[in-house]
Amino acid sequence: MSAANDANVVTYGSSAIVALQSGAALPSQFLTFMLGEEQYAVGILHIKEIIEYGSLATVPMMPDCVRGVINLRGAVVPVMDLSARFGRAQSTIGKRSCIVIVETEAGDGESKQVLGMLVDAVNAVVEIAAADIEPAPSFGTRIRPDFIAGMGKHNGRFVILLEIGRVLSSEEIVEMARGSAAVA
Amino acid sequence: MADDVSRIALDGEITIYRAADLKTTVLDALRKTRVLEIDLSGVTELDTAGLQVLMLAKQTAAADQRELRLLQHSPAVVEIFEMLDLVAFFGDAVLIHA
Amino acid sequence: MNLDEALQTFIAESRELLEEMENALLNVDLAGDQSEAINAIFRAAHTIKGSSGLFSLDHIVAFTHVVESLLDKVRDGSITLNDEMVVLLLSCCDYLSGMVDGLAAGQLEQDPDTAPEGEMLQQQLRRHMDGDAAPAAAAIPALHAEPSVERIDTERGDSDYWHISLRFGRVVLQNGMDPIAFLRYLAKLGRIVGIATVPDAIPPAEEMDAELCYLGFEIAFDSTADREAIAGVFEFVQEDCEIRIIPPHSKVSEYVNLIRALPEQAARLGEILVRCGSVTQQELDGALHQQSHKEEDAPAQQLGSILVGAGNVPPVVVEAALAKQKQVSEQKAQESRSIRVDSDKLDKLIDLVGELIIAGARANMIGQHIQNTELLECTSTLTGLVEDVRDAALELRMVKIGATFNRFQRVVHDVARELGKDIGLIVDGEDSELDKTVVEKIGDPLMHLVRNAMDHGIEPAEVRVAAGKSAKGMIKLNAFHESGSIVIEVSDDGGGLRKEKILAKAVERGLVDPERKLTDSEIYNLIFEAGFSTAEKITNLSGRGVGMDVVKRNIQALRGSVDVSSREGQGTTVTVRLPLTLAIIDGFLVQVGSSVFVVPLDMIEECIEYATEPGQDYTNLRGQVLPLVRLREQFRIGGTATRRESIVVLKFGNHRAGMVVDTLLGEFQTVIKPLSPMFSEVKCISGSTILGSGEVALILDVAALMHTVGGKGAVAQAA
Repeated sequence: MSAANDANVVTYGSSAIVALQSGAALPSQFLTFMLGEEQYAVGILHIKEIIEYGSLATVPMMPDCVRGVINLRGAVVPVMDLSARFGRAQSTIGKRSCIVIVETEAGDGESKQVLGMLVDAVNAVVEIAAADIEPAPSFGTRIRPDFIAGMGKHNGRFVILLEIGRVLSSEEIVEMARGSAAVA
Repeated sequence: MADDVSRIALDGEITIYRAADLKTTVLDALRKTRVLEIDLSGVTELDTAGLQVLMLAKQTAAADQRELRLLQHSPAVVEIFEMLDLVAFFGDAVLIHA
Repeated sequence: MNLDEALQTFIAESRELLEEMENALLNVDLAGDQSEAINAIFRAAHTIKGSSGLFSLDHIVAFTHVVESLLDKVRDGSITLNDEMVVLLLSCCDYLSGMVDGLAAGQLEQDPDTAPEGEMLQQQLRRHMDGDAAPAAAAIPALHAEPSVERIDTERGDSDYWHISLRFGRVVLQNGMDPIAFLRYLAKLGRIVGIATVPDAIPPAEEMDAELCYLGFEIAFDSTADREAIAGVFEFVQEDCEIRIIPPHSKVSEYVNLIRALPEQAARLGEILVRCGSVTQQELDGALHQQSHKEEDAPAQQLGSILVGAGNVPPVVVEAALAKQKQVSEQKAQESRSIRVDSDKLDKLIDLVGELIIAGARANMIGQHIQNTELLECTSTLTGLVEDVRDAALELRMVKIGATFNRFQRVVHDVARELGKDIGLIVDGEDSELDKTVVEKIGDPLMHLVRNAMDHGIEPAEVRVAAGKSAKGMIKLNAFHESGSIVIEVSDDGGGLRKEKILAKAVERGLVDPERKLTDSEIYNLIFEAGFSTAEKITNLSGRGVGMDVVKRNIQALRGSVDVSSREGQGTTVTVRLPLTLAIIDGFLVQVGSSVFVVPLDMIEECIEYATEPGQDYTNLRGQVLPLVRLREQFRIGGTATRRESIVVLKFGNHRAGMVVDTLLGEFQTVIKPLSPMFSEVKCISGSTILGSGEVALILDVAALMHTVGGKGAVAQAA
């Protein structure tokens, strides 16, 4: 848990430590969004745009967390259902559902991939200072610890900052697809 | 065709500045006759472009089974023809002025 | 042009030149007349040397210089090319390739790691030049007069004069220069002994532009001035003009080189040289008496070894002139016929064409939706034009497979040597064109197939002879178009595949059920299964690592297929089938539930109404059993089927199957958009596309679909 007893001494989550050590600045701006009743956030550096939920083509034989693909100005972009990715039921499409388009590095570290994340609603972009970010708890959250980059304090509450590379990891998805295909 | 012989004269500077016109003039004249004689007595200057037109005329005449004769070569013309050893090419008798 | 761009061009051109050099070296063995090949080799080395000099790439200049020196001696007949030298020169080619690669990687100087190799090669080159390694110039057939006429010549010719050859550039006059003025100036440095004006370049009257210069001059010049001074006369036109200067008392070879270098006919040039006095008629005639059986102590070659004659065919000059003329005209033809295009620009164009197609489809849809005839007419015209643009753009991506095939000459040459087998390569269908991406990716699989054929297919010479075959084995590469695909065959006349052996091995490895009865074709195709290799001895080439299964997968990744047929004792043929284009596909849309799929049009035989007994997985197609694939089931799409389903009859190779779908939506030409690697496990989908409505449709991989079906039950053999 947090060791921030002394205001001047703060410990950070693992990815934060790595980031600091490598000299990279932690993003201080985050997009917050809702999945069901819970609020999550993603650093805005990765975010390209946010679009309304539109017609989506399902791809057969893929795990539930891959909702399908959409047409993004001529590019065919996969869309992940974060709720399903976190092990819960697929999101129900509501009035405020949107797709957040993000760009992450592919597994080989060389190429970039563009993906969409289906969220129930998008909230505001908030500023969370590095000082207000605490490491992920090793238990107690309902999603995989490696999905969490840290816990951000905002407005007196904690927001789960997502480790987007892990969440949207296509290697894992491929593994899952392989598994489900074998069952066929 | 009877042996119709026409004659034209080229005067002044037979150089690049007039080369395009000269080409047209000479070839037109050549087309209208079987034998074309060109009087070169009035030529004051001859450069490569001018020379080329004459050489073109010679080649064209040969190709069309016509005849081109150059005569009364002025000193300017003679100098060039001798320097470039073209007398044989044109095949005309060149009168060497004293 | 900035330096980087220039360097990139240099790299690309050097690679092309090295390829030419390699091809020429390989072909030298085959032809009796070597001069064309030798000139090509020399030209390549010479050009690379010159260009690398511009970039101050001293290490390349130095190395190429030694190569060039050797080639120069070969060119003038001082040394004869032999097999050892060919191999050495091929190694030099490789070494230069390595240096160019290093350059591409940013290394502008000699790499210390490869320097020793370079040193060694240079030493060997010098050895050959000094004649240690070269065999004696023994009796050379009279047909090939070149080495006999021009021999190692230490004595000079008789001419006391310089010879200056001038070919003024076309724009010389427009630049304000007058050739005659230059000649006047030249005359101040000495005495013009003889001069011939060369009007050969003057075109017919209609084409002749009076303001361009078409004249050339051959001049015999008596002067004590040095070469620099003479060249200095033409300083102001040296950029636009071809100037060649031959010093007094020069060797025969210099004049033959001159003739080679000039554009006019050789005989004519000989005549001109005589005219201007650099050569005498006597000398020319005298040269006719030179015969091939004279050895090294023949009388010193005079200037007059240039053979000219009415009726006497002058072997040296005509040969050189012909070779040169052919080169020149070929080069000119090639230069004017093609331009270098950045492949990124081409890709961008294809992308835009794709967008154009989609936009056109949208417009068409709207026209239909609002039922406006005028608009529909317009969109119809538009669609037609867009199709034409599409075809033209795709044409740009097509490259001939010849270049790929020709690379194999080298491979076969080297590998045959390594294996100690005598194997030749025949290539056919080099003009067949295919998409550039396919060409790039098919090289490796083909390479493997060829090596496999050489290693395992072709038997050792003794075995062949014992079987009544020729000792020399043949590999054949053939390419041709067939119904929308390109077919590449790799065949050998070796021992063929051994059925029993293959079957036994497959059973041993658990790849087939021993009880199953397989057709010959099925048995032969077992070699493509993973984990299969019947070679008793794993050689360096084919046994280890890359197997036939990888070859097959690579080909399938290109949406192609591979098949093998064989006759024991006679040989084997591997047939690779590839689609002509990867970018755009003619497809047929079908719908299941709310999902739209695209089926490649060339896989569809027909569409029929769905009619079968419930519970049956097949239907009756004109008396034949047609197994069914229910897409809804296959893809686990929810919902219930529509009342009137349809069957799309698919044909793939020899197999047919019926695909059951809800609705047929019609033909649609689409641009293929690759799917994210995330979907790589979904075997039956090969890509995606965007419909006129903006929706995404998935492209079915018919081969994979058939395969999954085939695994479950019998798949109908086509009649």
